This record gives sequence, C-alpha cells and structure tokens, in this order.
Amino acid sequence: MKRFISTLGFIISSAATALAEEKIEVFPSVSYDQYTIYQNLAIFWIAIIGLIVIIRMKLREIERIQKMGIDKAEKDIPLLD
Amino acid sequence: MKIDYSLVTRRTFLNTLFGGWVIALLSGSVYALSKFAFPTLGKEPDFVVLKAGDFLNIPINSVKPFAWGGKLGLFFKKDNGSTTALKGICTHMECNVTYKPEDKKFYCACHKGWFDQNGKNIEGPPPKPLEFFDVKVENEKLIIARKGFKVELPKA
Amino acid sequence: MPERGLRLSCRRLKDWVEERYDVEAIRKLATHKLVPVHQYEIWYYTGGIAMFLFILQFITGMVLSFYYIPHFEWAHKSIIEIVTKLNMGWFFRSIHHWGAQLAITVLFIHLFSTLLLKSYRKPREVTWVTGFMLLGISIFFGLSGYLLLWDERAFAAVRVATGGAGNLPFIGGFIKAFLRGGIDVTGDTLTRFYAFHVAILPIVSLLIIGVHVLLVQVHGMSVPLSLEKKPQKTIPFFPNLFYKDLIVWLVVLGIMVTLATFLPPEIGKRADPLAPAPENIKPEWYFLFLFQTLKLFPGEILGLNGETIAIILITCGILFFFLIPFFDRKSSRGEPSPVFTWIGIMYTLYFAVMTVIGFIT
Repeated sequence: MKRFISTLGFIISSAATALAEEKIEVFPSVSYDQYTIYQNLAIFWIAIIGLIVIIRMKLREIERIQKMGIDKAEKDIPLLD
Repeated sequence: MKIDYSLVTRRTFLNTLFGGWVIALLSGSVYALSKFAFPTLGKEPDFVVLKAGDFLNIPINSVKPFAWGGKLGLFFKKDNGSTTALKGICTHMECNVTYKPEDKKFYCACHKGWFDQNGKNIEGPPPKPLEFFDVKVENEKLIIARKGFKVELPKA
Repeated sequence: MPERGLRLSCRRLKDWVEERYDVEAIRKLATHKLVPVHQYEIWYYTGGIAMFLFILQFITGMVLSFYYIPHFEWAHKSIIEIVTKLNMGWFFRSIHHWGAQLAITVLFIHLFSTLLLKSYRKPREVTWVTGFMLLGISIFFGLSGYLLLWDERAFAAVRVATGGAGNLPFIGGFIKAFLRGGIDVTGDTLTRFYAFHVAILPIVSLLIIGVHVLLVQVHGMSVPLSLEKKPQKTIPFFPNLFYKDLIVWLVVLGIMVTLATFLPPEIGKRADPLAPAPENIKPEWYFLFLFQTLKLFPGEILGLNGETIAIILITCGILFFFLIPFFDRKSSRGEPSPVFTWIGIMYTLYFAVMTVIGFIT
C-alpha cells in the first residue's frame, strides 16, 4: 500500500513538473490566427491544383500539336529579310 | 450572339491563363516571404514609464539617459531646476548627442553639430531641432510621452 | 486594349535580347534534349525534386539567417524569437525543417534508384561520384543545421555523431577536433557549424551540383541495361518534360507546406554542456542505420576494440559503395551484372531495415 501511494505520488509530481515547464509554442495558439492559417492553406492548395490543371491543359495541347507534326520548323522555309 | 471564330487562339488562352496563375502564386509567396524578411519590430514607442525616484534627483544642469525603444532618450534638468526629456538623436545622421554642461549645449560628435538648451540647432549640419517629449509624474512613476500623446495608464 | 500593349512590349523585349545574344544556339540546345520513355521513367524525376527542394532550402535559409544569432548564449533564444515574435516566423522555420527532411529522403531515393538501375555504369562514373559527394554534403548540411537549434537533443546528438567520427582509425582524432573546434562540443562548435552551414557547404554544394547537372546534360538520361538495346521512344525535354517536372514540383511544394503547417518542429530545452544526456537520445533518422550497425558489434572481438572494427567495416562498406562504378566491370561493358544487382538490393534493404529498426527501438 505504501509503495503504491509513493509511486502514485511520484507520477503525479513528475507530471506536474513536466506541465509546469514552459512549452514553447511553435504554432500560434490564438484560434483566430489558427483559422487564418488553415484557410490560407486551403487557398494555397486550390491555387496549386488549379495550376496543375492548367499545366495539364497545356500539355494536352502540346501533345495534340506534336501528334499532328506541325511543331517542327519547316526546312527551306523562305525567310523574310 | 454566337460568333463564328474564336476571339483568341488556344495558345494565347492557355499561355495567358498559365502566366497569370503563375504570377499570382509567385506574388503570394513572395509577399509571405517579405512579411517575414522585413521586420516590423523596433518601432519607436509612444511613451515609456520610468521610476521617478531614479530621475528626479539628478543634479541641475545635467542629463540622465533612458531607453526610448531602442534609441537614446535624455532626461534633462536645466540650470533653473525645471525638468524635461528629449530624444538624444541628432537630426542630421541619427548619431547619439551628448550634453556639455559647461557650454549648456547639446553636441553631436559625428559632424560637430550643436544644439542649445531648448534643442534648437545652432551650429553645424543638423537641419532640425532635437525632438522633445512631454513629462508627467504620477505617484512614483515618471511618464515620458511623445508630444501630444494622451497616455492612459491602466489602474494597476 | 492593354493586352496588345503587353504583347508589343514582350515582342520588343525579345527583339532587344535577340539583337545582342545568340538565342538561337540556346534554343537549339534546349529543344534537342530528349528524354527516353519507358517503364522506369518515374525515377528520372527524383534528381529534379531534390534540386527543387535544395533551392527552397536556400531561400528559407537565407531569410532565417536574418534573425538567427550563431552564438551559444543567444542561439536558442533567437530561434524562440523567430518562432514566437516574427510574422510567420514559425512557418518559415517549419518549412526549413521539413524541406530538409524531404530533401534527404528524396536524395536517398535518388541514390538507391540510380544504384539499382545501374545508372552509374560507363560513361556516367563521375556523375555517380559527384552525386555521392553531394550526399555526404547534404548529410553534413543536416547535421550542422540541426546543431544550430542548440537544444538538449541536438547537443547530445552532435556529441555522439562527432564522437563516432572520432573513432575512425588514424584520422579520427583529427576529424573530431576539426568538426568540434576543440576537444568537446562547445560554443566554438556552434560557430564552426554555422560557418559550414551558411557559407562553406552552400558554395561547395553549388559547385558540385553544377558539375553533376552539367554531366547529366552531357550524357543524357541513362536507360536501364535491359531496355538499352531496344528502340527508344523519346519525348523532348522542352516543353513536355519541363511541364511534367513543374507539376511534380508543385505537388512536392504542396506536401511540404502541409507538413510544415500541421507538424511544426518542437523546440526543446536549451542545451547545457554539463547536464547528463537526455533519455532515449537518438540521432536524426538518416544516421539511424549507422548506429544500429554499431550496436550489432560486441565490445571486443579477438582482443581488438569492437567499435573500431565496426567503424572500419562500415567505412569499407561506404567506400565500396562510393566506388561501385569501378568495381562493376560487367555493366561498364553493357552486360547484365546480376551480382551487382544483388549487391545493390542488399545495400538498399540493409539501409531500410536498419533505419526502421533504429526507429522502433
């Protein structure tokens, strides 16, 4: 019984001291700031996915042109001097 | 109204969309980066609170420095016993000035500029007079504020 | 219409450049670069991703260095200032941390994929050698950056890492003193690691990256032995692969930003050189395989110091890895080299398994 109480006391006191030590906040604690951050993250992802979609569109177009074979510069094309 | 021909080519449309989006993304990122890279710390305060006892008893015709944000502030007791405070920064190139009691003038060593007891620039390159502050004593506190700034201390 | 004005100024800018510089030569070079298409082409992206992450590290590192103070008295505090007081300071520090983790991960993927695909064979031996040097530099980047936090974990980790280097025979003591700037890890070590991290390593890595990328352009992309003899389908690098690269890089950027936002790295207690090492101290994950290996060796083998033997064996293993293009004669001749395929697989598995074990225990 004594041992049980002493171990319990030890656990509680070590937990208390661990919490008493200041934890340095590496992420803003104010919820207003937190919502702003998550909102910006969402906007950022939308921007990235949007750009990826546009690049895909460009790639499709380039591949379509290349399939047609019209992207290569014609040989002996008359130059306007 | 349906038109027979497209107003822009596919290429122009795609390139403009791509370019515009890239510029938007880049400028957003650069904006975030500059907010970090350009500091907003180090602004001058609107007022500072000091311990009255440390300053009120200095000898006449002398100054005692205090911190005005990161800059030099001077608490000044004139030879007639009246007290005031000023920013000890030369208006020429922002060097720290010093008080010469023998001459009753403020002197800036960088380019040999001189100011009189009221801060007016009397000799050398400084273009403007020194900036003076409002001084108030409340209980045991010495409150030095920017001229015209209404200081409201919380009821501690 | 403003659009016409923009197009005219673009045209004028193009003319200005073309009247002064031989753009045609550059354009020819760019359009002629062809990239093979086959089932292993996904591995081609790893090098580019690593370079992209490095560029991001340089940028975030540069802005962070505006505010970091490389003196043991104020280092820890300056980082706390950055994280708590500056606009988005926590974010850029978090990005710098995650950028480093991802970069080293991608570098190991790049290393093992080039090993298993035997891209190191003739004529690309020097590409492999420079790449290996870059791996060493990147790991040192990671170690030196890690110490700059000057918290308990970093301090203990660097003590162990430099102490381990000190166990190399003959040169060990010299290397340990050089890295530490003295007998023990002190403020001098911090200043020295800072010099490495922001000045010496960046310049050296830029030079070697330059050589490495140049060699890749010179030789083109390597094709696995099994597919080399078959007719190659290729696509032009510009614009096809350029845009594909861009898509991959954007995804990587998104992942990095997400990780940085949800999992910002902690800041431990400030380092105290006199305090005992904290519990369960472990080095950064990319060192774990080394430390697990050391743990395998008993204290004494046949009367010789077990740890020294372990270090010698590890050094031989790494040296062999470094010089593998010169040992693998068969693949240099273009012949299949199953022995070295197995050696490659064993190296990869050893690294992976040892890292995971180091993680779990």
